[in-house]
Amino acid sequence: MNSYKLKIITPEKTFFDGETTQIVVRTSEGDTGILAGHIDYVSNILTGPLKVKQIETDEYRIAAVADGIMVVANGEVTILPQSAEWADEIDIDRAETAKKRAEEKIAEAKESGAAFDFAEAKLKRALTRISVYNGQK
Amino acid sequence: MATANIKDVKRRIKSVESTMQITKAMELVASSKLRKAKENAIQAQPYFKTLYETLKNISLNSSGTVKNDSVAEKKALLVVIAGDRGLAGGFNHNVLKLAQERIDSLINDGFAISVMPIGKKSIEYFSKRSYDIYDQRAQFAENASVYDCLDISDDVVSKYTRGELARVEICYTTFANTLSQIAKNVTAFPFEVTQEQKPEESEEQTDTKHKYKASVIYDPSPEEVLKLLLPKYFGGLLYGAVVDSYASEQAARRTAMEAASDNAQEMIDNLSLLYNRARQAQITQELTEIVSGSMKNSD
Repeated sequence: MNSYKLKIITPEKTFFDGETTQIVVRTSEGDTGILAGHIDYVSNILTGPLKVKQIETDEYRIAAVADGIMVVANGEVTILPQSAEWADEIDIDRAETAKKRAEEKIAEAKESGAAFDFAEAKLKRALTRISVYNGQK
Repeated sequence: MATANIKDVKRRIKSVESTMQITKAMELVASSKLRKAKENAIQAQPYFKTLYETLKNISLNSSGTVKNDSVAEKKALLVVIAGDRGLAGGFNHNVLKLAQERIDSLINDGFAISVMPIGKKSIEYFSKRSYDIYDQRAQFAENASVYDCLDISDDVVSKYTRGELARVEICYTTFANTLSQIAKNVTAFPFEVTQEQKPEESEEQTDTKHKYKASVIYDPSPEEVLKLLLPKYFGGLLYGAVVDSYASEQAARRTAMEAASDNAQEMIDNLSLLYNRARQAQITQELTEIVSGSMKNSD
């Protein structure tokens, strides 16, 4: 299979910069796979798992990413999530505490607009991290 | 008299020396903080640069979506970023002066002004002058995280898209090099492709390129992508400005403290000269007294 250049950049660092043959990313329309030679494409991505096929092993490596944007231009793919972690780098204890804290916040906030949305986004990120962590085992 | 003078001079030398110790230490602290700040600024760059490029492309391809025409009131928000501390030469003064000029000209244009001061010096300045404070942050720049900026940005952008704000501008100091920092004013919203980028863009858009660009697919739609992109764009702009300003502050402080240390050294040199002269004069006088005394005795 043809490979293409993939870059995953978060505000903190360049998370991944290399070749891949296929990725699967969660967009608002559902999981979307990107192969080499894709048409120019810009999409919102949601908090969720991101699968990146490793060229050497032809297996997916899974990362937990937070919401952001994906840009396909000139045959190169750039993903800009707010945060990204490989499954094996996830600190599961931290994710669990974050989940608990977010749940408390949601219970507190009930439905008061911004605080609720904020806590919900946090909870989503924590849940994604946990499910990605469990999925790799 | 000569003895008293020597004591005085000695005391002054000591006091200048201890001042110099402080300025030297501040200089060293500032230069190490400057290094860290520069690293931070560089790290975040690729993320926001790509965001900006994407935003620019969308605004070029689907005109009108970035602009916000349904503005009810002429309200402008000015984010003014200054330092938390003084002793940094003209750093705080320069950026506050620029902000004041900008506010005056916006008021002339009929805007109602809100200010979001970041940094203690900025907060002091604007609360003293009883401006409408939108939000304020002290002790923010040193440990500023991207996520803090994104939170602020979510709030500001949602106000902008609802039409409660017509303009958003940022006043900060940009780091030109270690010796010069320039106070700067940037218009974040309404989003404009600035003059310097336009010609380069039109060059790129020769016939084939143009067709190619128009065929970009936005999922689910350009508007939805924009909705997600705008807060991140402004957050990035804000973060960049905060980090840039912080680096400038450190550089300004380093330069100011370097100058202060140099001045202190010069003062010490002059005073030591004075001290040595006074000491020699005293010795000479004592010798003269001894010699003249012994001559009297031998007589």
